[in-house]
Amino acid sequence: MKFSQALKMAFMSLKSNRMRSFLTMLGIIIGVLAVTMLISTVQGATSEVTEQIQSLGSNLLIVNVMSPKETYYTVEDLEALESRDSIAGVAPVVSRSASLKAGANTTTASVEGVTAKYGRIRNLSLSAGRFLCDIDVTARSANAVIGSETAETLFGTGDCIGNTLYIEGRAFTVVGLLTETKNSMIGSSDNVVIIPITTAQRLMQSKEIPMIYISAETADSVEEAQVAVDRFFLRELGDEDYFTILSQAAVLSLLDEVMGTMTILLGSIAGISLLVGGIGIMNIMLVSVSERTREIGIRKAIGAQRADILTQFLIEAVVLSLTGGLIGLALGALGLSLISTAFDLTARLTVSTAALALGFSAVVGIVFGSYPANKAARLRPIDALRYE
Amino acid sequence: MIEMLGIRKTYWMGDNPVHALNGVSLTVGDHEFVAIVGPSGSGKSTLMNIIGCLDTADEGVYRLDGQDISDYSERDLGVVRSRKIGFIFQQFNLLMKLTAYENVELPLIYQGLPAGDRKGRVTEALERVGLGDRMDHRPNQLSGGQQQRVATARALVTRPSLILADEPTGNLDSQSGTEIMALLESLYLEGNGLLLITHDRDIAARAGRRLHIVDGVIESDSGEGERV
Repeated sequence: MKFSQALKMAFMSLKSNRMRSFLTMLGIIIGVLAVTMLISTVQGATSEVTEQIQSLGSNLLIVNVMSPKETYYTVEDLEALESRDSIAGVAPVVSRSASLKAGANTTTASVEGVTAKYGRIRNLSLSAGRFLCDIDVTARSANAVIGSETAETLFGTGDCIGNTLYIEGRAFTVVGLLTETKNSMIGSSDNVVIIPITTAQRLMQSKEIPMIYISAETADSVEEAQVAVDRFFLRELGDEDYFTILSQAAVLSLLDEVMGTMTILLGSIAGISLLVGGIGIMNIMLVSVSERTREIGIRKAIGAQRADILTQFLIEAVVLSLTGGLIGLALGALGLSLISTAFDLTARLTVSTAALALGFSAVVGIVFGSYPANKAARLRPIDALRYE
Repeated sequence: MIEMLGIRKTYWMGDNPVHALNGVSLTVGDHEFVAIVGPSGSGKSTLMNIIGCLDTADEGVYRLDGQDISDYSERDLGVVRSRKIGFIFQQFNLLMKLTAYENVELPLIYQGLPAGDRKGRVTEALERVGLGDRMDHRPNQLSGGQQQRVATARALVTRPSLILADEPTGNLDSQSGTEIMALLESLYLEGNGLLLITHDRDIAARAGRRLHIVDGVIESDSGEGERV
């Protein structure tokens, strides 16, 4: 018997039992819906976070120092690192949260003391004014570059360049305004005041430099730069537990791992509902086989072979699960576009997720269909014909 | 050509054996019209089911057209059934969801005949039984006699060498019964082997050969070679 013929027979039999077919499919529909929605949402969130991490620049290394001892390296020591071939720039940062005041307005923001190179290494862009320059650092000037949110809180929407703001009582002149970076998952850089590192150290009364941004010459020299940086801090601090070096690649691979685990976890939870749907199919196919025992007997008496009956019932099961899978997929795509607009997420149904969901529902149909189909095919024609 | 030697078949009703066939030996030529008669429970249906490869004997040898099929598996018997035998049942046994045309088409589908070749044969078979104008009717839109004619068309559409009919007129009024018998006899006259079980003396009298079965053995056999 030809496959197309078997397919036609399967559709006819499913059509004659519409309500039952639909209810059986419902299990698969819900399962596929859950799988696609969960996996796609996690994938959407992953790609968003990945994008943000990548926007940091692939050449970047971030050193965090957590030494229990007082550290002695200076801005000048760190700048010596720049002589390495693999390292393009070194930007030490001291930071602390501090209270700000301008006119009648007050706020709290992160005050970051940096060198002139910081702006380039972090890819900061300005919407007005200028960034700090070397002279600001050497002269311990009281100039500040402020984030867009800070600017709005302190000065309103008007031009703020040249205005004065007070950081813990000390007056600073605003020389630059950072471009708005929008809401970012890795910390907003809009509520910030950037001042020369020398000024900051005096303000904070500390010589320690707890964080250093280092950019490698190229993406290829990141590893080499990391080795040099590691050696430098090991020599300065004496213990590798006292500092960590984060590279974009390391963060990305960590993220990948976490999100991969999430996907598998959520996918398997949703997969369980697919499994339950499969059991529903098996159940209804078994009912169908025993209801149609006589029909099977007739078919065998007029020439159907075991394989014909097997194919017929197997195809019915797979048609049920695949149709359910397709409907679930369509609903999933619809649901995802709703979620995307509602929560401002980019959760899209990817081809691989769709293929996975459909493939899985086909497998469910075959696995849970084969026992009833085999049962039908094995019926002895004489017993089947006598069945009332 | 049917050759049977010492065929036995026992069913178990709980712990009690029921000897449906108790050593039946029989030879039927290629072109005979045989009526099998006997009381209920005598084993006639069992005999016919074994001849038709729906059932297998416990003991004995069964050769069909020279092939020993006593030890054939279910799968192989299915092939024999599909190629050589056409069944007609007392309860018609049509598939209620299919039209007359589709019911008759089914055996050809299972034989793997392409759709193009099926149409002509199905139409021909339905016209042969006088239902050329009822092809798209479902069984519940047809009278009992018409349903049995569809079943007859389904049996003859594969051009089997042997047609087996288990009380084909048992569920029909006498008018329809006569028509069905006329149809079966004409098939016999066209060259088909015809084996039927009947309770009707008139029908049995028309057969070329009568087998009388009682308690699982052939009690009398009117012998080969007679004609209508």
